[in-house]
Amino acid sequence: MKKKIGVYVCHCGGNISDYVDIEKVKEAVKEEADVYLVKNTLFACSDSSQKEIEHDIQESELDAIVVASCSPKLHVPTFRGVAQRAGLNPYNYVQANIREQSSWAHSDNPVGATEKAIQLVKAAIAKARESEALTPVKIPAVNVAAVIGGGIGGLRSAISLAEMGTEVYLIEKESKIGGHIAQWDKLFTSNDKGSDIINSLYSQILKHTNIKIFTNAEVIEKTGSIGNFNIKVKIDKEILPLHVGAVIVNTGFESYQPLQSEYGYNVLENVITLPDFKNLIEKSDKELIHNGKIIKKVAYIYCVGSRQDDEGENKYCSRYCCTAAIHVAIEAKQKYRNIINFHYNRGIRTYGKQELLYEESCKNGDIYIQFNLENKPQIEVVKGKTLIKVKDILTAGKEITAEVDLIVLVTGMISRKDDTLINTLKIPVGRDNFYNEIHMKLRPVETVIDGVFIAGTCQSPKNILETLNSSQAAAAKANSVLTKGEMTLEPTLAQINPASCILCENCRNACPFDAIMTVNYEDRQVAKVNVSNCKGCGMCTPVCPTDAIDLAGFTNPQIEGMIDALVN
Amino acid sequence: MSADYDVLIIGAGIAGEESALKLADMGFKVLLVEKEPSIGGKMILLSKVFPTLDCAACITTPKVSETARHPNITLFTLTEPESIIKEVDNTFSITLKKRPRYVVEQDCTGCQECETVCPSVVHDQFQMNLVARKAVYIPFNIANPRIALIDIDNCMLCGACEQKCPSNAIDFTQKEQIISVKVKSVIVATGFKLFDPIHIERYGYGKYKNVITSMQMERQLAPTRPFNNILRPSDGKVPDKIAYVFCTGSRDHTIGNPICSQVCCMYSIKQSQLLMGALPMADISMYYINIRAFGKGFNEFYMQAKDMGANFVKGKIASISEKENGNLILRYENIETGEVSESEHDLVVLSVGLLANSSVTKAFKNKILKTDEINYVKQTNLLQSPAITSIEGVFAAGTATAPMDIPDTIMSAGAAAAEVSGYLNQLS
Repeated sequence: MKKKIGVYVCHCGGNISDYVDIEKVKEAVKEEADVYLVKNTLFACSDSSQKEIEHDIQESELDAIVVASCSPKLHVPTFRGVAQRAGLNPYNYVQANIREQSSWAHSDNPVGATEKAIQLVKAAIAKARESEALTPVKIPAVNVAAVIGGGIGGLRSAISLAEMGTEVYLIEKESKIGGHIAQWDKLFTSNDKGSDIINSLYSQILKHTNIKIFTNAEVIEKTGSIGNFNIKVKIDKEILPLHVGAVIVNTGFESYQPLQSEYGYNVLENVITLPDFKNLIEKSDKELIHNGKIIKKVAYIYCVGSRQDDEGENKYCSRYCCTAAIHVAIEAKQKYRNIINFHYNRGIRTYGKQELLYEESCKNGDIYIQFNLENKPQIEVVKGKTLIKVKDILTAGKEITAEVDLIVLVTGMISRKDDTLINTLKIPVGRDNFYNEIHMKLRPVETVIDGVFIAGTCQSPKNILETLNSSQAAAAKANSVLTKGEMTLEPTLAQINPASCILCENCRNACPFDAIMTVNYEDRQVAKVNVSNCKGCGMCTPVCPTDAIDLAGFTNPQIEGMIDALVN
Repeated sequence: MSADYDVLIIGAGIAGEESALKLADMGFKVLLVEKEPSIGGKMILLSKVFPTLDCAACITTPKVSETARHPNITLFTLTEPESIIKEVDNTFSITLKKRPRYVVEQDCTGCQECETVCPSVVHDQFQMNLVARKAVYIPFNIANPRIALIDIDNCMLCGACEQKCPSNAIDFTQKEQIISVKVKSVIVATGFKLFDPIHIERYGYGKYKNVITSMQMERQLAPTRPFNNILRPSDGKVPDKIAYVFCTGSRDHTIGNPICSQVCCMYSIKQSQLLMGALPMADISMYYINIRAFGKGFNEFYMQAKDMGANFVKGKIASISEKENGNLILRYENIETGEVSESEHDLVVLSVGLLANSSVTKAFKNKILKTDEINYVKQTNLLQSPAITSIEGVFAAGTATAPMDIPDTIMSAGAAAAEVSGYLNQLS
């Protein structure tokens, strides 16, 4: 059947048109078979352009549309929406990526970029020509979420979910919930006690009958898809199967442990980490005492385990430690007489309102000494005295030696190395070893796995306030998806023609999602696709010896048409 | 208790949009009001965003369109709340003031024919006054709604636009509308104000033409940029020695803003990277106090700018003076050498900070929406429920509570949506 195809070539501001000659692209594709109209647009995704496309679809009775713009990752839903609103089946829409694959990739070669863009648009037209109307698959979804991690973030996610009407399984690996914060005394910005906050959140949890807590528990298996995950939780020695619609991972961080002899750690008895120092202050009463000695002069060495040079793998800033160290220094000064704080830093990062704490500490008379990586502080013990020697940037590189009683290593956050969870949930991990979101700016709590969300410090270092915000944001996102009670699945799924199937098992072996099942067909057994598991990845299609499998939306005629267009 | 809407959201920047979309997806009825003629807030005007260098317009327009057409979201532009009164049944009685557009929204097609005939030319505030617009104008190319409005203060009432308009959409008889609604809850998502560097006289902004703000540079780098090149204002020359003055209007008691604005280091570093791409021969110097590259991927992005050749100088700029040729002399103490130095640049960009935008507090008539010592909306349960404010049923999202970047804003807005949903469920 002859189709009427509308083609829209996007400038993307200048992102595309600076390198790709849009007029040439238009000219080159307008004679392609079935192309009814070709237009260019400054921003195809803008509201006015969307309305124009909708108008064209209705006015010219288009059967398919192609937008040549950016990566389909972002805007396929946008333009499918355009098609739908205009009464065209959304799967008659095809996107050509002439930004990431042309203008950005070949900004040094505008002529080549233009040629490539033309080929890509022609291929998209070929695909649109063979496109068919598809109907999304609807399956029921359970309004239940698993929250993994019972620290402050996990508690917050659980309470918010419960308040919004989602049932929660809170799964904690340790024997007690509360995480790091339960063990901390006063917290920066509000001076609330960590244990008070955790107790308050815990008492809120107890009020909700729709939250179940499992401790000593670990998720070891996950199958299914958003709205219908089947997870297995190992509790002590028992395995508990749970049916959930979404998973929020809120597994937190680990404190960086200094290496043997890093700044004298584990060698000198008066070198401790920031978490140790927080405990020490909480426990010491009238005098600050460490190892039986009264402490007056405290040196804080910043960025231990963070912003490392070539020798270490942690290139990132741990975000919370500057403020945490300054807050603890202020507390030490308030609690004990005659404390002198020396801050050996690499540029203080008390961002936002936290700046006020830095200012308070400066007013307290704390001494700030700044070093760079080439000149790290040198620690030596001379006649029982601990000396720190460093070239101070703030005094034009003057070498300064100070005698101190205690050295606090301001240690950062590192990711938890939880391979079981990474393998079970298949969330991508970034170069910094923290979990990666799908889009850093606008979708910070979603991952590439639909229905699996990340929140808190398992994503990146955060302070408590930021952890709470992300935990509630993940809860809001999960609830907004599950509360409708049904999931709409992409119809781009594999289909097996039972008449041609010889049940060779090739497709079952190729499927990474356990989506192939066996059914009876005319007195024999054949393979069939379980739609709730199928992700439409296409792994099964090429291995079928009898060509019994086709992938809706990516059918053989479509792919062959695209290849022909690309090689012509 | 009955109400017209479940929630009123004040401000349709990315925070307001995010909260609105989350709540609308949950099935709540949302009324979203925006005082500007377009939604999208500050983000829609940006070039690219750090540290991913995503094109801001490309990633924000889907959110903007989705907000504008969501069946559960009612949207009013040019609208601000006049009064918000909490009633005994816990609903809020809201009086909204909607300023006239002088253009019939449904009839305007956005063809811009009116702009061609309008004789009144004024500074374009959405291009940060770098270029001009007409008194009848579409705010900017990717505005939503993309329809014209008349800036009546600068209109000569000549009627040329009225005659030219092919769809007869111009209507000079429009009046300010007062709209009364009842809602069950409120989210304050009013965003921030940019610091106006005119208040730091020694930097010469407003006096020396080649001293511009970072937002003006942002526009020059944006896909919808005014010049298609980087130009300095005095003579239209392409600059080749650019300076950034960090902490302009932040960490500064003399102008009443002691806190760090949290985003300026990173946006300046981002601009330096974009400039090094656009003007490969240009020297770029960054005069800073501390570099606050604290977020995910930020420190790596800072290191990348250094490797690309941006020259980072630790020293706060004390004063700027102008030479006859329009070049500028920056005086500062170079902290690393301990010397007072002067250096010449042909364009200076002031990395302006963020200030609280708390004018909405005046609308709360019978309950006080508390603010903190620097005028941000006070978060009264900071370390348990950050979106909660001093009034039960009123929540805050995004930079209304503190300076923050885009991902933090999105998360804060999501948190506010979670609080509102929980609050509404407990009411019913």
